[in-house]
Amino acid sequence: MLLILGRRALSAIPILFVVSLLLFVALRVLPVDPAAMSMPPSATLAEIDAMRSQMGLDRPLLEQYGIWLGQAAHGDFGQSLHLRRPVLRLVADTLPATIELAVAAMLVASVLGVGGGLLLFTLRGRRSELVVETGTTVLMSVPEFLWALLFIFVFGVLLHALPFTGRLDASLPRPDKTGFLLLDAILVGRADVLWSALAHLVLPAVALGLAFAPPIMRVLRSSLLDVYHDDYIRQARLRGLSEGRILWRHALKNAALPMLTLMGVQFGFLFGGSLLIEVIYSYPGLGNLMVDAVRNADLPIIQIVGLTYCVLVLAINTLVDALYVVLNPKLRGR
Amino acid sequence: MKAFRSGRVIVGAVIVVTVLLCALLAPHLAPHDPDDQNLLAQLLPPAWQAGGDAAYPLGTDGLGRCVLSRLLWGARVAMEVALIASLGAALIGSVLAYVAGYFGGWADWIIGRAVDVWMSFPPVVLSLILMTGLGTGERNVILAIVLVDWTRFCRVLRSEVLVVARRDYVAAARLVGFGHWRTVTREVVPATIPLLVTLLSLEMGIAVVVEAVLSFVGLGVRADQVAWGQMIADGREAIYQAPWTLFAPVLAIFVTVAGFNLLGDGLRRTLDVRMVEGRE
Repeated sequence: MLLILGRRALSAIPILFVVSLLLFVALRVLPVDPAAMSMPPSATLAEIDAMRSQMGLDRPLLEQYGIWLGQAAHGDFGQSLHLRRPVLRLVADTLPATIELAVAAMLVASVLGVGGGLLLFTLRGRRSELVVETGTTVLMSVPEFLWALLFIFVFGVLLHALPFTGRLDASLPRPDKTGFLLLDAILVGRADVLWSALAHLVLPAVALGLAFAPPIMRVLRSSLLDVYHDDYIRQARLRGLSEGRILWRHALKNAALPMLTLMGVQFGFLFGGSLLIEVIYSYPGLGNLMVDAVRNADLPIIQIVGLTYCVLVLAINTLVDALYVVLNPKLRGR
Repeated sequence: MKAFRSGRVIVGAVIVVTVLLCALLAPHLAPHDPDDQNLLAQLLPPAWQAGGDAAYPLGTDGLGRCVLSRLLWGARVAMEVALIASLGAALIGSVLAYVAGYFGGWADWIIGRAVDVWMSFPPVVLSLILMTGLGTGERNVILAIVLVDWTRFCRVLRSEVLVVARRDYVAAARLVGFGHWRTVTREVVPATIPLLVTLLSLEMGIAVVVEAVLSFVGLGVRADQVAWGQMIADGREAIYQAPWTLFAPVLAIFVTVAGFNLLGDGLRRTLDVRMVEGRE
């Protein structure tokens, strides 16, 4: 397992390298001058020029990238132009919130996806199948940010049932240990903090999860249909096993593999979707940091947040690939 | 055509054509100029509610602008972006897919790695970064969508081309003396058209969403153009006083995307000869 994981991780490194180069070049050809932006408005042109050469902006692009890479290797990703703090710190502060949201949303998506997929499968060949299937197509047409807005309206504005801004009630103290709020609340043993954090997490997580559930439903259904054509299912039927036992003990194991691959891809996309959810729910995560940075043309932040998203996606892909090999006996021993 | 007997295709096509007509005829259909502010009639409810004004069928927003007119004009931007961007993405993605799938070898390797690099970005993040670089404006939104979403076509089509290009009839065409160009355009491309049409329809729905997202964040079309995403951002501010200003664009996006998805889904089912017993 570890060996596979290591091998997959190694193959992700060149991709990360190319991505960082592309990001660097793309952000440097922008018509924005980071030197001028990092100076007070009263700075003279000469001062800005001095700053530019101090920041290395007058050198060739590849050399600049080399310098950046060298600094990055030492853990120095630069300062935010706008917030004037090290960008690595900013990412470290916001990343746990985003991971918490994405994992919660993925749980929602998995539960709904597997449940819906099984429902679709059990309805196969019946008239109601068409209705439910069209339902999934319609469900797929609601992107996560529309769910988010609808939930705010229904549960926040109409019913006043759930909070819809931030991660925690303003009156509660924020336990500061790992940055993962749910974990922190348990660590310090505050039930009220945990409760408040959960209440704040419900709407964003469900909105995000709902948008990613329909593809899981469909893939599970179609791979179950495929699996039921296999001889071993017929064999199980001939042995007199009950339909329920065949589904749960025999078919689902094999049908889960394509679903797992899809969920890996989905989890990556879900991080992208979390960006919008964070903006809508004023959730202090990576997405809000990114959007603010884009609005302020804060290049160092955009650069590192872009990279962080890449690392997350590649890490998930690596994990899912390795898991796939572990779970699929056909691929073992290769 | 078999395709037009499918319920999904019909419903989807009707929705898409309706939205397209709204977009094309917006200048004639809209009761008001979408940017006309009537400060005496701010946040009017829809005409059928108490206090509504028949001159503003769907009410007005916080600046007294007609919601219906803005919706119709927003459809113009949405449809323009959807059509042009998805055609552009399809063009780039499919050309690369044909090259990669047909020739294989190092061309396939390079294109495959490029797709890997692109896929390591969540699409929303990549389009945001591109929009920072390109600046706002409808043309840049289209460009960003093309640059982000070509991989959707490339990935799926490539594996299809791989299968088709190794069929006997393609080898036969080569043996008869067809050049590469003629083989690909006459023998390989027609076999992949159904898949391409389906992907195109689904991509149009995606493009509508992406345009709305970018406009919502304030990085979409220019401020003087009306876009659904912008209307949502405005409506969110007035969620307590005037929820209809939020619902109108939300509903418009939902219906349009559902139309494209139903159409694409229905086409896939009817055009794909391998679909037996509802397999996907």
